[in-house]
Order: sequence, then C-alpha cells, then structure tokens
Amino acid sequence: MNLIALVVALPLLGAFLLPVGARSVGWVGRLLGPALLLLTSLVVIVLWRDSGGVPSHIELGGFQPPLGITFYLDQLALVFALATSLLALLLWPHAAWRDARVAALMLLMVSAASGMALSGDLFNLYVFYELVSVASFGLVAAPKTGAALAATLRYVIISGMGTVMALTGIALIYTQTGTLNLAHLTLLSATTLDNTLGLTAFVLILLGIGVKAELFPVNIWVPEVYATASQRVSALLAGLISKLAIIVIIRLLVLLFPQPEALTLLLVIGALGVLLGELAAWHAKDFERMLAFSSIGQLGLVLMAFSIPGQAGLFAGLAVAMHHLIVKPALFVLAERWSGGFAGLAGAGWKSPWAAGLFILFALSLIGVPPLPGFWAKLMTLLGLLGQDNWIYWTGAGIILLATVFEANYLFRFGLGLFKAGSESRSAKVPVHDAGSLGPSLILGAVLLIATVMITPVGNWLAGVADQLADRELYVTTVLGAGRELP
Amino acid sequence: MSMVFDLQWILYTGAIGLIAIGLVGIIWSRHLFRIILSLAIAEAGANLMLVIAGYRLHGHAPIMVAGVWPEQMVDPVPQAMVLTAIVIGVGIQALALSLAIRVKEAYHSLDIDEIRAAMQADIDAQAGVTGDLSQEEPSGREVIGPTVAAEEGRS
Repeated sequence: MNLIALVVALPLLGAFLLPVGARSVGWVGRLLGPALLLLTSLVVIVLWRDSGGVPSHIELGGFQPPLGITFYLDQLALVFALATSLLALLLWPHAAWRDARVAALMLLMVSAASGMALSGDLFNLYVFYELVSVASFGLVAAPKTGAALAATLRYVIISGMGTVMALTGIALIYTQTGTLNLAHLTLLSATTLDNTLGLTAFVLILLGIGVKAELFPVNIWVPEVYATASQRVSALLAGLISKLAIIVIIRLLVLLFPQPEALTLLLVIGALGVLLGELAAWHAKDFERMLAFSSIGQLGLVLMAFSIPGQAGLFAGLAVAMHHLIVKPALFVLAERWSGGFAGLAGAGWKSPWAAGLFILFALSLIGVPPLPGFWAKLMTLLGLLGQDNWIYWTGAGIILLATVFEANYLFRFGLGLFKAGSESRSAKVPVHDAGSLGPSLILGAVLLIATVMITPVGNWLAGVADQLADRELYVTTVLGAGRELP
Repeated sequence: MSMVFDLQWILYTGAIGLIAIGLVGIIWSRHLFRIILSLAIAEAGANLMLVIAGYRLHGHAPIMVAGVWPEQMVDPVPQAMVLTAIVIGVGIQALALSLAIRVKEAYHSLDIDEIRAAMQADIDAQAGVTGDLSQEEPSGREVIGPTVAAEEGRS
C-alpha cells in the first residue's frame, strides 16, 4: 500500500528534474512526463486490484495518526488518482508546446491533484490545493498574450481570496477541535462542529475550495481563463481539477459537517450555478466560452445532486461528476481546432465529420438523451430532488429542467451550425481535424459508449463507491484502528 | 480568567477585521496594486487567526529542556502551519505582482476596468466575434476594432 506515495512523489520529482534534464538531453523533456504518468497509472491500478475494494490508509513517515499525516485509499480516492494520471497522459501537450517548463508544471499539477484525492489531513489538503493552484496559474498564463496574462491575474487574485477563506475555515475548525486529521475530526465533529461556528467554517471552506470547483459566486474567472488558455489546459481544469475540488468538499461535508443547512446551501449555490451558467452559455458567441459557461452549469448540477441527503445523493452526485469528467475534456479537445466564433465555424462539420459526430455524441449525453450515461445521471438527480418532501428541492428540479431546455437549444444550434449548407467558403480557414487532434476525444467517446452499454455494472460499482464515501465509521476505524466508535 | 477572555476577543476581532479589510479592498479597489496589497492584508489576517488558534496566555515555547515539561506550552502545530501559509502567500503575491507588471506592459494601465475592457476586446477579436467590439481606442493600444472589421469586409 505504501507504493501509493509514489503517485505523488514521482511526478513531483519529475517536475523538478525535467527542466534541468531537458536542457542537457532533448528527448527527456518529451518522454519523461508521459513515462512517469504511465508508471503512476500502473501503480494505482495494481494497488486497486490488490485492495479488492477495501479501503486502507498509509502513515507517511511512520507517525501514528492523529499526529502524523495520512493518506486514505478508498475507491473514490483511487479512482480520482487514476483519472488524474490517465487524463494528464491523454491531454499531454506533445505537439502544442515543447516548452519543458510547461511539462514540468503539468507534472506538478498531477502530483498535487493526486495528493488532494488521497490526503486524509486537513492542512495537507490545503497545501496540495495550493500546489494545484500555483501550477495551474503557470499553465494558464503560458500563452503569454496580454489577454491570457490579464485573465490569469484575475484568477490568481480570486484564488488568493479563496485561500484566505479556506485558511480561516481551517483555523476555525482547529480552535474547536485541536486536530487536523480527518478521522480524528470525524470522531470529534458531533460534539464540536455541529453548531453555527462549524457551519461558518464549512461555508468558508466551500467558498475557498469552490474557486477551483467553479462555484457561484467565486467563478467569475472561468470564461476568460478558458478562452485564453491552451485548450488542453482548460480541459484539465474544467474536467478534472474542478471535480477534484468538489469531491474534497463533499468528503469534508460527509465526515465533518452533519448540519442540514449545509445541504440546503449546496442546493442553492448549485441551482444558481446551473441557471446562470446555462443562460450565459446560451448567450455565448464562441466555442470556448460556450464550453466554459456550460461547465459552470454542469458543476452546479453536480453540486445539486450532492445536496440530496443520504447515500442516494452521493450516488447521483458521483454519477454526474464522473460523466462530466469524461465529456468536458473531450469537448475542449475538439475546440483545439475549432477555436473561435460560431460564424467562422459554420459548415466546418462537412470537413471533419468525425469531430462533428463526436460533438453530437457528447452534446446528446450532456443534454441527457437516453440511453447515454448522461441521461441516467440526470434522471437520478431529478428523481432524488423530487423525492424530497421540500419545496426548495422541487424548485431545484424545476431549475434543472429549465436549464436543460437552454442547454439543448445552444448545443443543437452549434451542432446544426457545423452542417450549415452553402457555407463551405466561410469555413475555408477552419483547420481540419486529423487523427492527432481527435485522439483524446475518440478515446473518451469510446469510454462513454462502453459506459452506455455496460450501464448496469458501472452503476452498481458507483453505488459501492458512494456507500464507502458515506460510511464515516469505516473511515474512522480504517485510519485510527478498531475500537474507536463514533459518539 | 476574564483577562484571558478579553485578550482573545481582541485578537480574534483583529484577525477577522484584517480579513474583512482585505476582502473589501479586493472587491472595491480599482487599482491593481491596491488589490494585491488588500490580498496581502487579508492573508495576514488569516495567518493571525491560525496563530491565535494555538496561542495560550503565559504559555512557554514548546521546547523540552533537560526532561522538564514546561507548565503550559503554546500549541506548535498552528505555528508550523502558519509558516507554510506565509511561504505560499509570499509566492502568490510575488506571482501576482509579476503578472501585474506584464499586464501593465501589455495594456499600459493598472486600472482594472480598463484592463478588463482591453482583455475582452482582445478575446473577442481573437475569437472573431465582433458583437461587443468597441470602436473606441482601448487605453494606449492600437485600434483593434476597425482593423478587424475592415479585414473581414475585404475577405
């Protein structure tokens, strides 16, 4: 199990060696990153197979919890560690920029993102979160145009604000409990955090980490950053990092904050995100910003799904999150060649039919057309919301249905625009997709189709993951040993 | 006991006040440098909050000398955390300042409204979306709007 430390350590080591190595040996810059990512993926797969789905933990440096820092390896942590390595490998910037510094930042982000998924310590989580932030600042500023720099600066300042809020929340928790180990905190939470101060701490952490999760109202950096950054970086941020931030928030919510108000807050913030994101996407005039706004809407939907109480909510939330994790990066990869305004893309589908076909597949799944996985995820969320005997949840379900209408409208409008007749001359300048630019989208599309066919096993597996996530007792006994019961 | 209580209240009020001043400054300032300074103030507040979380009045430094336990020690864990947080904060402030210099070089302004307008115009022009394109000259930049429109008209 201790091998899991390599998933964090190897990319970190690579990130520091790569710029030096690339200077003396040219191929190091190109091969070291993918090789390390392949290795970390293998490590996670082997560990996963050996674990048999039973959660375990490791004590870094041999210090016993709650004093030492622990990594907690349940299925959710492992699946996100694996997704981090695999998506980074898939979106590795081979051709776009040969700059070794960019590759180093990618490795740094992968290392910190895996750490975020695995960490079982509140302050450790904060440090990994900051590492992800700093790496992403460098990546989004990499194009070095004036607009990219200005967008990055705004992102840095909003992230800084988020840091301050998250840190204050952590300090509040520490004043109440005197510990940072999540298992130990779980033991103490019922007596110390089930009050207004605990709720305040949760709101602060929600808004702080929510900057990366594109939550309303700390998401105003999103459209400009995704419009100016390289599309592969946008794909990683929108697809992976945002979901990781939400998973961390949900993990803290399940373990530490039993207040029902916290769930209502998630619902309201999520609903505002869905409504504003989808409306803004409907107004957007270019592909990247449409994807950016729709990603805000999708993450609002994830949050709304997680706001359903109990295991059903965690199941629905995980389903929506995993679906978006596959679809959004694929769409951003398509935007690599199809960058820019809708007018310039009219008729581009005739020249790149495969890309247009993939777009339509992902769009249908996003809207929620059966039998694609997006339909089941959305259906579960809607049924879960309607199953609550509470008008706020019913309003939430109504908002999702309304937003779906807008979503369908703008996605179809774009899809039809791709096949506009008589517009071949206007799309003459649009680059044609080739195998290289379509590769990641094709692979993700294949994954989506496999999930469509095997929806029952995938659903059962996700339900198991949700069960583990919901089991606070399991978390405490795994980390602190048997005999420590929840009060 | 009441003195301990009062001192803690004063310290907490101070920390929360610093955070509030910083956040208000970030939201209300228009000058980029002021915004970055406000961020620094807010970070100082958050760090102070962490230090207070582990502070004990009349506590000793948590160092064991020759096997003697000090009677009351301050909690060392928050201090270790604050060191980390300060380092991260300094790094981010330095990054923000260096980005501000580059933005000033690109747009010749530190006013966020002007920068935002120029950034939007740049993004719109790059995407080929002419809808929101300003025909006026953005601060200190070459005229973007008419040239793009003229090129499109020609092609």
